[in-house]
Amino acid sequence: MFDIEFNGEFAAFFVFAVLMIAGAVLMVSFTKVVHMVLSMAAVFLGAAGMFVLLEAEFLAFVQVLIYAGAVSILMIFGIMMTNHSDSRAETIKPLKETLAAVGAIALFGLLFYAIRDADFEGLDGGTPAQTTDNTLAIGQALFHNHVLPFELVSVLLTVAFIGAIALAKKEA
Amino acid sequence: MSSLLSSPLTWGDALVIFLWGVVLMLVVLGFVTYAIFFERKVIGWMQFRIGPNRVGPFGLLQSVADILKLLIKEDTIPRKADRLLFILAPALAFVPSFTVLAVIPYTQKLYFADLNVGLLYYVALSGISTLAIVLGGWASNNKYALLGGMRSAAQMISYEVPLVISVTGVVMLSGTLNLRGIVDSQSGGWFWDWNFIPQIVGFAVFVIAAVSELNRTPFDLPEAESELVAGYHVEYSGFRFAFFMLTEYVYVYAIAGLTTTLFLGGWHAPAPFLDFVPGIIWFALKFMFIVFFLFWLRATMPRIRVDQLMGLGWKVLLPLSLANIFITAACIELFQR
Repeated sequence: MFDIEFNGEFAAFFVFAVLMIAGAVLMVSFTKVVHMVLSMAAVFLGAAGMFVLLEAEFLAFVQVLIYAGAVSILMIFGIMMTNHSDSRAETIKPLKETLAAVGAIALFGLLFYAIRDADFEGLDGGTPAQTTDNTLAIGQALFHNHVLPFELVSVLLTVAFIGAIALAKKEA
Repeated sequence: MSSLLSSPLTWGDALVIFLWGVVLMLVVLGFVTYAIFFERKVIGWMQFRIGPNRVGPFGLLQSVADILKLLIKEDTIPRKADRLLFILAPALAFVPSFTVLAVIPYTQKLYFADLNVGLLYYVALSGISTLAIVLGGWASNNKYALLGGMRSAAQMISYEVPLVISVTGVVMLSGTLNLRGIVDSQSGGWFWDWNFIPQIVGFAVFVIAAVSELNRTPFDLPEAESELVAGYHVEYSGFRFAFFMLTEYVYVYAIAGLTTTLFLGGWHAPAPFLDFVPGIIWFALKFMFIVFFLFWLRATMPRIRVDQLMGLGWKVLLPLSLANIFITAACIELFQR
């Protein structure tokens, strides 16, 4: 089940994994919003590193591109919309904490089971070809094989965008 | 360089690669030192002044003296600043600025990384510096610094969109995101084979958005000294301030290199009979022209207003770059089939 070969790839995987887990834990435990956002950025960077290890460079750098911008925006919203002069400790509610823990463990179990059980060979096209140009492969998959879902997503985004503008106009 | 990058990594190769990194670092530091000197000189001449001329022959050591001063200055951290983030921010700003240089090819043979998504790598990593600038502004616990950081984030996000979309035309013409591939696709002997003529709209949008990404005049709102004292680095002094300045000038280097590779044909000569001149000379000439252009712009243009800045980004550059993609796609369909 866990046959691990100790090489450079494993070392890199380990570093990125530690970065992601540490970032996620710190994200939950920090109290200042800027610190939280920064640890979240560490998680995103770790995920991008994982994508590089999996030879999905396009995905990795798109991840950095989108989330680095998103993190800066989130940070600005965090600074503008929260009261950061006092950081008082929150009262701990035992029932809520237990329920949250149960939910988190259940989600982990579900994901773990689903990933262990997944059969990637059976997908259309089988395993993605290990080419050096996966940008081309992604482009062809998006604009040839799955063009309809792609267009539907873009329509959905446009609707959400226009809806946001309409709501903002009404409030102003 | 290519044999070194494709062979399996041994300790000796790792040492050679490390030494190349050090060489690039020294070249960049030398560039930054003399870019600052020539910027002051050129702007001085354009404004009927002499510019720095006291330290060393023709003032050549002025920047060296300035850097020395910065390095031996007292390092202050405000008592109410967020200490850890205050220390982290300059390093976080500098690291991506130097990392992006890896993908810029200088000649056919001399390049540091042959990445198949080189262009995307550049754009993605340069976004991290924005994060560092916001962080530095926030960690300083100073209203001017925070305002500078906020402006920087708003501006970088707004102009990153047209920047990325404007280079999409180039990517469509050359069919690759690899910067070496993009330069190769511009070969043809004459300068009209370079991308800046077929992609003139994309080129214009790219230059404007790039100047804005560099936070240079006329888009230097994040550090508008007449409104914000010094912007996001008000509280920084000495070594840490030097890092922020260094980041800015390393990005000047990076953008000049990127413009040369994307639009100005990289190492290619402008005419076939000039092919005997080595490629690195052509690269350097184009590179220096762009750096000079940035200085020229700074001496010429006043700073634009915040509302005009956002209007220009979203209402002019974005539609223009989208139209550019559309027209490029139509032309490729019509004429190259």
